[in-house]
Amino acid sequence: MYVRIEDLYFGYTKNTHVLHNVSFAMQEGEIVAILGSSGSGKSTLLRLLSGLEMPSKGRIEVNEETLCSANTFVECEKRHVGMVFQDYALFPHMDVIKNIAFGLKHLSKDAKKGRVQAMLKLINMEEKSHAFPHELSGGQQQRIALARALAPSPDILLLDEPFSNLDEDLKTKIRHELRSIMKKTAMTAIFVTHDYDDALDIADRICYLEDGRIVHEEVIKRS
Amino acid sequence: MLSRIRRNINIFSVVSIVAAALIVIPMLNILIEIFNEPTPAWQHIRQNLLTNYIINTTILIGFVAVFSALIGVFGATMVTRYEFKGRRLLSWFLMLPLAMPSYIAAYAYADMVSYTGSLARMFRWLNIPLVINVMNMPGAIFIFTLTLFPYVYMLTRGALSKQSAAFSENARLLGAGKVRTFIRVVLPLLRPALVAGTLLVVLETLNDYGVVAYFNVRVFSFAIFNAFENLGDTPAAIRLSGVLMVMVFIIIAIERFIRGKRRYSMHVKGRPLPRVALKGWQRFILPSLLWVIMVLAFFLPLAQLFYYATLTFTSVFTLSFVYLTINSLTLAVSATLITVLIALMLANYNRGSQNRFKKGLLKVTNLGYAIPGAVIAIAVMIFFIDIDHVLYPIYQFINPNSPRLVLSSTLVMLTFAFVLRFMAIGYNSIEASYDKIGDTFTEASYVLNTSKVKTLLKVDIPLIKHGLISAAIIVFIDVIKELPLTLILRPTNYNTLATEVFRYAREEMLQESAVPALVLILVSSVLIYVLTHYKKKGVPINVR
Repeated sequence: MYVRIEDLYFGYTKNTHVLHNVSFAMQEGEIVAILGSSGSGKSTLLRLLSGLEMPSKGRIEVNEETLCSANTFVECEKRHVGMVFQDYALFPHMDVIKNIAFGLKHLSKDAKKGRVQAMLKLINMEEKSHAFPHELSGGQQQRIALARALAPSPDILLLDEPFSNLDEDLKTKIRHELRSIMKKTAMTAIFVTHDYDDALDIADRICYLEDGRIVHEEVIKRS
Repeated sequence: MLSRIRRNINIFSVVSIVAAALIVIPMLNILIEIFNEPTPAWQHIRQNLLTNYIINTTILIGFVAVFSALIGVFGATMVTRYEFKGRRLLSWFLMLPLAMPSYIAAYAYADMVSYTGSLARMFRWLNIPLVINVMNMPGAIFIFTLTLFPYVYMLTRGALSKQSAAFSENARLLGAGKVRTFIRVVLPLLRPALVAGTLLVVLETLNDYGVVAYFNVRVFSFAIFNAFENLGDTPAAIRLSGVLMVMVFIIIAIERFIRGKRRYSMHVKGRPLPRVALKGWQRFILPSLLWVIMVLAFFLPLAQLFYYATLTFTSVFTLSFVYLTINSLTLAVSATLITVLIALMLANYNRGSQNRFKKGLLKVTNLGYAIPGAVIAIAVMIFFIDIDHVLYPIYQFINPNSPRLVLSSTLVMLTFAFVLRFMAIGYNSIEASYDKIGDTFTEASYVLNTSKVKTLLKVDIPLIKHGLISAAIIVFIDVIKELPLTLILRPTNYNTLATEVFRYAREEMLQESAVPALVLILVSSVLIYVLTHYKKKGVPINVR
């Protein structure tokens, strides 16, 4: 398995647990939706996977590398994990090119330029390369945030409620776009949502999270 | 059209427009004077001294700005991002140097490092062959940095405590280490607060006269006073003021140009970064650095002043000292009340408006803080002398033996100048409070047929009480410390704590200056304590 999460526990205090014994596995290129109501622990799960929080117990493995176990904890900047935040968190003082290039510091100038152009082409936004985030619509900001997260070719992509800031009309269009981009790049992705339609349109599999526990899984059959 | 104008006439618009007119007229006087025939004194200044003034002023504000920014951001980062012993105390202690007027710190340090001073004696006792002279440009940079960095600290601390963790977390996930995240993301997002704080530091440095006069550092405020008081050449002083105003506007314009169309904030949900406990050597070294800054900026000069106060208390603390303390307090209270009242009217007039006229009016009324005290003093004096000339027939009608100058020889002129100079300070605090509560409460009151004044008294003021108190405290501290305006515009034989400190220092009676200096510092310190500890109770959230 490409992603393996075993017996994950997390609590902000010693006696209360936000996540209880969460375990699941994913194949490479699979898109999994974590579906749950607010407070169910779905965003916390993403924070644990990304390394922004440390679990109280459990093991996380991605691409045969142990990111977290009883005696291992890989810092977030070394995990090769991409993440799209709920509000996108685009750096407001950088234009689109600089936002996308932020995670490419290991590349040469030319390679960086080529990668940014490839990302802009992927999301079909070449004409907005010099715009600042405040000059973009919500949908455009989301696509830039996606390109920024994909640019360093992460091992896994995490998306936190990626549609919560979009209008209903825009949502349907962007859902399909998002799935097609992720499939084009063969990206393994986990996204959390409270909206069943989001999960249905994008995911290959849905994990239902309730009170910090995965209570049910559903494989989506596509024709 | 006429009905629209009539509909817009209310107490807020009338006070705002009159205030703007009263502020802009004295400034125009300065501009007009620049185009008049230059005097011989000006020719001399321009040919022999001006370049030197410009170079010295640039060196002074450049270094003070950089050092204040470094210390301010360091302090703000430490108390908002890290957990260590004494953090809560340092969090408000770092504001205390604001209570120490630069000129008082300058007198204390000059004395401490002089041959007979406490520090010099201590060095000799410890056999340390160190002779320090602070009465020069580096000394002035040292004094201004230590007494003014809290402006940067205060604003960047506020911005850091509100900055969403999502930006830093995102940068880390994109592979940036802690240092790169700080330099590329956290620091640039602090830019508006950092620039605003540093600009305040620069403006306060340009405003100072006490330090540069005592240290004989030939910068603009020194030159303006020299032209005005020693050469008796007001037009030359006005021309120098004009050049200084141009320099201030160039600094602001350069910053705007560099900023371009970038923005430094976006609405992003999420909590700020949690504080991390300092570990290892950092646990001792980093907080120690902050304590060293605090000792140098506040406690060391304060201790020196306390020592001198014990020596001179009986000779200085006389009935006339009580009178000048009352003078200082009454002047500061009246200037504060008028400033806050007009700022409140202005804030009401401008609420939620995108109207260009209103925005222009606001810029004019907030101009005062960008203009050094010496410049404002001269502008206001000329303005009041003109008013006295116009009103002279009325004075004669009331009293045939009336002198020609009435208003310009009273406290009205000085109070007016304070209001003009500190309006921006009061306004910004009140505007921030209005932004927090939004417009809905006020609009709800209007639709219930409540008048504007009654709404102001019954709805707005109780809701923005905290902002009003903050505004009043900051203006009060600024007024009570102010020196250049008071020196030029005070009526004859009218003394305040600030002018008394200056007088003693000029007469080399530094020990005697300790008592008035301490009263100034203690009053300001208590107010800073109130400002930093006053809890906001019952302030509603923005419901816009």
